[in-house]
Amino acid sequence: MLLCTTINGEYMEVEVNPDLRLVDFLRDQLGLTGTKIGCRRGECGACTVIFNGKAVTSCLIPVMRAHGAVIETIEGLMGENEKLHPLQEEFINRGAIQCGFCTPGMIMSAKALLDENPDPSVDEVREALGGNICRCTGYKKIQEAVLGAAERIRKGE
Amino acid sequence: MKYILAKSVEEALIGLYQAGGTGAIMGGGTDLTIDLESGKHKADTLVDVTGVPELKEIRLEGDTLVIGAAATLTEITHNPLVKKHCPSLTLGTGCVGSLQIRNSATLAGNVMSAQPAADGAMALAPYDPEFVICSLGGERRCKMGEMYAGFARSAIDPSKEMVKEIRIPILKENEAGSYIRLELRKSLSLPMLNVAAVARVVDGKVEWARITMGPVGVGPVHAVDAEAYLVGKELTAEVMTEAGKLAMNNAKPRSNPLRGSKEYREATLPILVRRALESIADQLGIKY
Repeated sequence: MLLCTTINGEYMEVEVNPDLRLVDFLRDQLGLTGTKIGCRRGECGACTVIFNGKAVTSCLIPVMRAHGAVIETIEGLMGENEKLHPLQEEFINRGAIQCGFCTPGMIMSAKALLDENPDPSVDEVREALGGNICRCTGYKKIQEAVLGAAERIRKGE
Repeated sequence: MKYILAKSVEEALIGLYQAGGTGAIMGGGTDLTIDLESGKHKADTLVDVTGVPELKEIRLEGDTLVIGAAATLTEITHNPLVKKHCPSLTLGTGCVGSLQIRNSATLAGNVMSAQPAADGAMALAPYDPEFVICSLGGERRCKMGEMYAGFARSAIDPSKEMVKEIRIPILKENEAGSYIRLELRKSLSLPMLNVAAVARVVDGKVEWARITMGPVGVGPVHAVDAEAYLVGKELTAEVMTEAGKLAMNNAKPRSNPLRGSKEYREATLPILVRRALESIADQLGIKY
């Protein structure tokens, strides 16, 4: 089937197998392997992308639902001259990454939150990241990184 | 597989009809996607209804709150009409799965999946809602109890008909609702137990109370003995404790390796029922 969609700011018309889930299309057809597959059941958050402004687990989204949608993946975060997004920088600066497998999903959940609410409370950060599981670091540094990035974004960085 | 992005209810129903029993309605799809991959559910045609504008609506019709079948749990949780008129419903819809799940999943789907302790369905149940079910043959209405055919089994066949909307009588003066879950963790976890209640208390006396519990049977189970006992009573500490004990008459909790033993659930369920009633008393300014 013909899928017309916008991914990381790029409009595309591509033939897809409608049996696919969005995560498989992103990774296997577009080569956007920053979006990870953990559980394929919506229980780990590693495949989180931003779909029409909302964080979703792309393993549970049929690819054709992306028709007409605007989707952001971790690959779309980098700015001009390969400048990292404040969320990416704060995850690095504050040691919120160990193996890194959960990181793209964490960052996309956090970005969806900050896009809607640049001044979140700790509880709001925890709710936004509640669907993202990390088995390495624990969550405190991740929470701090999101709050740190929020502060930088509010300052206009 | 054929995938139809329906733009109207009629288009969805025609798609379903043309699939001749091999199709399925796809709402949020957070359960169906998994069931299709595992082979638990089979479909040659999927009819996606998430883009049907009328199914996304949340509106008030007189004393009835109408929630379209494709409204997501996030949209319901943050909707001002729902927060104002059925506030305890948002306590349930706001803790299904995770935020990512709630951004896709629907309340209608939460009922259709028929898990006995589904947070959204449980919080909804004591409001005594009606479900508008439609097919090309027309519309019919179902009460909550008629939506369940068994454990994790819906009475609605998604290859033949679809939920169009959920109609919920809103809370009136002297009425309040509550929702309580006993949980291992807040995200990505079904509750060990959950209880929801709605009651009407006039001049200090309970006119009626509806209490539902899970997972203690098929779907949200009414604590009918406790409901009958409460009629005409004042919500005193003793009465609410007794109602909690009576709720056990209608509950058959089972042991679950992840979410608590039968014995633990039997010991804690009366306390949750009591707390659900205490929350209602608090909201109505009743001292106990």
